[in-house]
Amino acid sequence: MWLFLLVTALLTLFPLVMTVSGSFKTGAEMMTGGSLLPAKLQFANYAEAWKQANFARYTWNSAFVSIMVTAGTLLVASMAAYVADRRDFPGKSLYVTVQASMMFISVGAIVLRPQFDLMVALHLNTTLWGVILILISAHSSTFFMLQGFFKAIPRELDEAAMVDGSGFIRTFFRIILPLLTPGLGVAGLFAFRHSWNEYILPLVFTMTSPKLQTLTVGLANLRYGSSAAMQIHLMMAGACLSILPMLLAYILANKTFIQVTAGSVKG
Amino acid sequence: MNIKRKRFGENSLFLLPSIVLTLALGIYPLLWMLRYMFYDYAGYGEALFIGLDNFRRLARDSMFWESVGNTFIYAGGKLLLTLPISLLLAVILNGRLRGSNLLRGIYFMPTVISTAVISVVFYNIFNSYNGMVNTLLLKLHLISQPVDWLGPKYAMLTVILVAVWGAVGNYMLLFLAGLQSIPQDLYESAAIDGANAGKRFWHITLPMLAPVAQMVIMLAIIASLKGYESIMVITEGGPIGKTEVMYLYLYKLLFPVSTGSPVTQQLGYGSAVGFATALIVGGITGLYFFLSRKMNKVY
Repeated sequence: MWLFLLVTALLTLFPLVMTVSGSFKTGAEMMTGGSLLPAKLQFANYAEAWKQANFARYTWNSAFVSIMVTAGTLLVASMAAYVADRRDFPGKSLYVTVQASMMFISVGAIVLRPQFDLMVALHLNTTLWGVILILISAHSSTFFMLQGFFKAIPRELDEAAMVDGSGFIRTFFRIILPLLTPGLGVAGLFAFRHSWNEYILPLVFTMTSPKLQTLTVGLANLRYGSSAAMQIHLMMAGACLSILPMLLAYILANKTFIQVTAGSVKG
Repeated sequence: MNIKRKRFGENSLFLLPSIVLTLALGIYPLLWMLRYMFYDYAGYGEALFIGLDNFRRLARDSMFWESVGNTFIYAGGKLLLTLPISLLLAVILNGRLRGSNLLRGIYFMPTVISTAVISVVFYNIFNSYNGMVNTLLLKLHLISQPVDWLGPKYAMLTVILVAVWGAVGNYMLLFLAGLQSIPQDLYESAAIDGANAGKRFWHITLPMLAPVAQMVIMLAIIASLKGYESIMVITEGGPIGKTEVMYLYLYKLLFPVSTGSPVTQQLGYGSAVGFATALIVGGITGLYFFLSRKMNKVY
């Protein structure tokens, strides 16, 4: 039993160890493959990846997209979830049904094409806002997650605030939303992870404008470079740059991550 | 009346962003596809209505049907490896075990890492002439010659292994959640009655886990039929189409891809392929749902 656990753990860690150690090797060392640990730590790889392979730019783009998507998703989904939880409105069940089916209906790449064309029509294809809007539009899972959190906040609280003369919007932003902080944190973590790791969407949008590439796209594109074989050490350094922030967030929030994911199946 | 109107205004204000985004970027693309699957439309120039011609072409498209076959091999291989491993891990970690939190953390880690990025890493790891897997196996004298992991013979196996690496932790966690809802006293009374670990697994764990497992397996089926991101990065569907899966083929029809691909961009036909692909995935999911419900009744 312990052997199985150990072997599985080692196999899980193997590519990560290889990435980290590879990121410190010289190009020549990578070419001959072999050794687990680098002969000498080449910190220069990171500097080179950061500057020469443009990872500074990619990191900024990734951060911009992820932060905007996280903020946007939380705002759009929390407002909608609040109304859907507290109020009745015509077409409510239709709205909720559509949101639910949005989680399951997916024709993969096919929806990307009309989405892309729409962004071209709005002149948003030359910025990252196209990617951001599309990612925000996929907010149905956040919607349902937040609705669950809203249910836990007693309605009497809203009513009391309203009686005291606080308007609807004010009550939401000043009283209810602050109480939702833990829920927003968890939902935000998921939205951030999703947008940080997204590959196909930014790939499609940055085909003609390399300046807008995110980390995932920029890194995968290094593979097609003419001297890709010579640059494996740079690729590994780049991979570390793109994995580490997420990994760090994960290690810090490990408990929350695991609990929430585990909870999501219990419905 | 006034209050009603005010409430309506407030509700609309809060719902509007969500509704607009869903309509524009969720519903409209679907309608777009339903329309263009009856058109001959390359993506530029004029769109020509051609009725059902795209579906006739689809029926004869050997590349599409090969990709369907590949999808089944890929999804089947992934499920056959992922589900038992993740269930086993979940069952072991469900017991009181030292270091189980650390292990959970390790196994779940791949799910927070970008598929595309880790696929770049795997591409280098499985590289045939200087990849780390080959070097390691050569050093251990397990093989005498480098294995061409990304060649026609093993490419499918390689992409399946990468997919399993990324998925095990996720399903382990879902199984674990299911296991934790099984009342502990069931095990205790069974142990008193003299049931050993194997018997307890077959007669308590499996039946009690069945409802959760039914859902987890369905999620796993959908995810494995739909996954193409890592294949796109590692092999681009090659060599000679050996790892071309449905969604990757679909992608190639809708967006210009690197030279050397035999698939040319065709939005009208792509829409028809997208529709067929969605039907196939939906059909399999529905079939699984139907069969697993029937099995539940038999028990």
